[in-house]
Amino acid sequence: MVLDEMYEGIKHIFKRTFTMKYPYQKVLLPKGFRGRHQLYMDKCTGCGICAWICPERCISMVPVTDQKEYPQNPEKRFPQYWYARCCFCHFCTDYCPTGALDYTPDYELAEYDRDLLLWSPERLSKPATNIGQYRSVFHGDKGAMGVTYEPVNKQKSD
Amino acid sequence: MTVTKTTEPSTLDVSVGPQHPGSGHFRMLIRVDGDYIVSVDADIGYVHRGCEKIAEYRNYVSNIPHLERPCIIDAIHLNWGYVLPVEELQGVEVPRRGQYISTIAAEMNRIMSHLYWLAINAGVFSGHTTIFMWAFGDRDLFIELAEMLTGARLTYSFLPPGGPRRDLPSGFQEKLTKLLDYFERRLIEYDRIFFSNPLVIARAKGIGVLKREDAIRLGVAGPVLRGSGVKYDVRKVEPYGAYADLEFDIPTYEEGDSYARFLVRFEEMKQSVKIIRQALEKIPKGPIARKAPLVAPEGEATGRVESSRGEYAVMVMGDNSDKPYRVKIMNASFRNLIALPYLIRNVHVADMPIIYGSLDYWPVEADR
Amino acid sequence: MAQSGFPREESTISQLKSKFPDAIKETKVDRARRITITFDKDHLQEIARYMRDELGFDHLKGIAGLDFPTQKRIEVLYFAASFSKPDIQDLLVILKTALPRDNPSIASAVTIWESAHFHERETFEMFGVKFEGHPDLRKLLTLDNWDGPPPMLKDIKFPEMGQR
Repeated sequence: MVLDEMYEGIKHIFKRTFTMKYPYQKVLLPKGFRGRHQLYMDKCTGCGICAWICPERCISMVPVTDQKEYPQNPEKRFPQYWYARCCFCHFCTDYCPTGALDYTPDYELAEYDRDLLLWSPERLSKPATNIGQYRSVFHGDKGAMGVTYEPVNKQKSD
Repeated sequence: MTVTKTTEPSTLDVSVGPQHPGSGHFRMLIRVDGDYIVSVDADIGYVHRGCEKIAEYRNYVSNIPHLERPCIIDAIHLNWGYVLPVEELQGVEVPRRGQYISTIAAEMNRIMSHLYWLAINAGVFSGHTTIFMWAFGDRDLFIELAEMLTGARLTYSFLPPGGPRRDLPSGFQEKLTKLLDYFERRLIEYDRIFFSNPLVIARAKGIGVLKREDAIRLGVAGPVLRGSGVKYDVRKVEPYGAYADLEFDIPTYEEGDSYARFLVRFEEMKQSVKIIRQALEKIPKGPIARKAPLVAPEGEATGRVESSRGEYAVMVMGDNSDKPYRVKIMNASFRNLIALPYLIRNVHVADMPIIYGSLDYWPVEADR
Repeated sequence: MAQSGFPREESTISQLKSKFPDAIKETKVDRARRITITFDKDHLQEIARYMRDELGFDHLKGIAGLDFPTQKRIEVLYFAASFSKPDIQDLLVILKTALPRDNPSIASAVTIWESAHFHERETFEMFGVKFEGHPDLRKLLTLDNWDGPPPMLKDIKFPEMGQR
């Protein structure tokens, strides 16, 4: 009988749904989310392994001209990223021998001017800016699809 | 859809073209006579981009994001199928804990890929939009867990040669177990609303029958093969990863029609839940990965895995450098292509989306 | 014959070698479940028919082309396996043959292994190998108006891909 199947659908009509009002409400992303990279200029030695392993050939090592001294990097060569090509695989982060690259949860990288997508080493060393305020909590029995979104500071565990 | 007149007065050539939402990135030139399709010419190549040629210009690790893109919703299997022959060439063995993590990620990916199939190929192509919404909603819960494990929602690049990149994070095991309990309840609801729905049964039962000897002769793969009565699964035939230690069944149906192929994938989702539960229980402690060299010696190796659409085999040929000499990809969608003009013959036009959806043809994977 | 400890692979090789002593040039058991057999290109249809009818290898998983420009040859690889016989279901037999690079052509395997239909079309388009007797040998993947050389040959380079 087709009415059995219709009942399966109808019983979900009056369940509470939730809409995240992006961009005013954002989700807290898990640790290790693969957003844009962060460069620690105090650790980078300029070896260029990140440039070699990048699948899209979007990293190039450029000299940095500022007054600060980097004893581990005498030629002062640091990576610059061409984010129009990056596929965010983060092999560069994993294969860096000194740990000079890190994950950040920044994913809003769109620009109006294409040249602004070329991130210099100084711009890459800025810390992350995208900290979400809402966390998705999976209950399994209430909410639409078993998930509700609750503000982060109300969390006790999980 | 463009229409052209043919020489015979009663037939019409209709191009279910590459921009059609009901065909993927793939062109089917069907010849119709009234309401009957007389023949189909599969005209593939709309999204061909020279995957195998580009793979000769990237080193072995850089090839992973490149070669997992052809079927991105099934990325772990495509990644694993490429990495198995590379590890064989280089002589690297992945530790046991790494094999279990790869197995858990691969079975989660199989559930995700089957939910996508259920939403689009079985749901939207037949007009059932409720299962489209539900299957995509449940798939998003698995995607959030995969994001917790690997850092990305779909483009994992999780298995370089030597083992997985990350260990299971804290809290992952409890969340996955809770999700699997919820998902088993949802599978009962899917059964009531879609698989036992008399409208779906009327549209799919007895349509597009592929007999057992034809399935063997045409060399098809995956659920298309198992829906026609051939019990063949690479996880049992040539066990890789942790599959040799885990217990699971291979669902096989004898009828060979589209409804049998639907049920094969539905049962495979249930088996995947069973495999993940066992793997989470039995996972050993220890290292997850070994360091692999960056070059591969001369020689050839062929490795294969069971991806969601069928058997996925890769032949890698090394030449003592850091880039492969040749990468040959043999995927299930390209092998199932021969069943398309064979099955869609003398059927109503309305049966064509059902048969095409039951084959689960992924045009990007077939074209590479 | 050296005992490698793989009885089913050895017996497949010995059956083929005894039936076609002059057509089979080299055989090798690479590891468990992998056999590589190099044969002479004129005997493809006989070997294929024997493998399908007597030994039970009933389908092809793929056909690959390999280009060696310095050695002036193109190799064609056939990956054959069996669905219907349970005791050899896990073997993968790789049949290799060498063709001259300036005019590569070989008989088509479609009459024996129907699963070779689309694979032969792709190898024809990508490497220029002509399969004689194929019912519908035309381009498969490249553009309809592509009139350039076969793209997968080693001397065809596309500058956007980077350096090798």
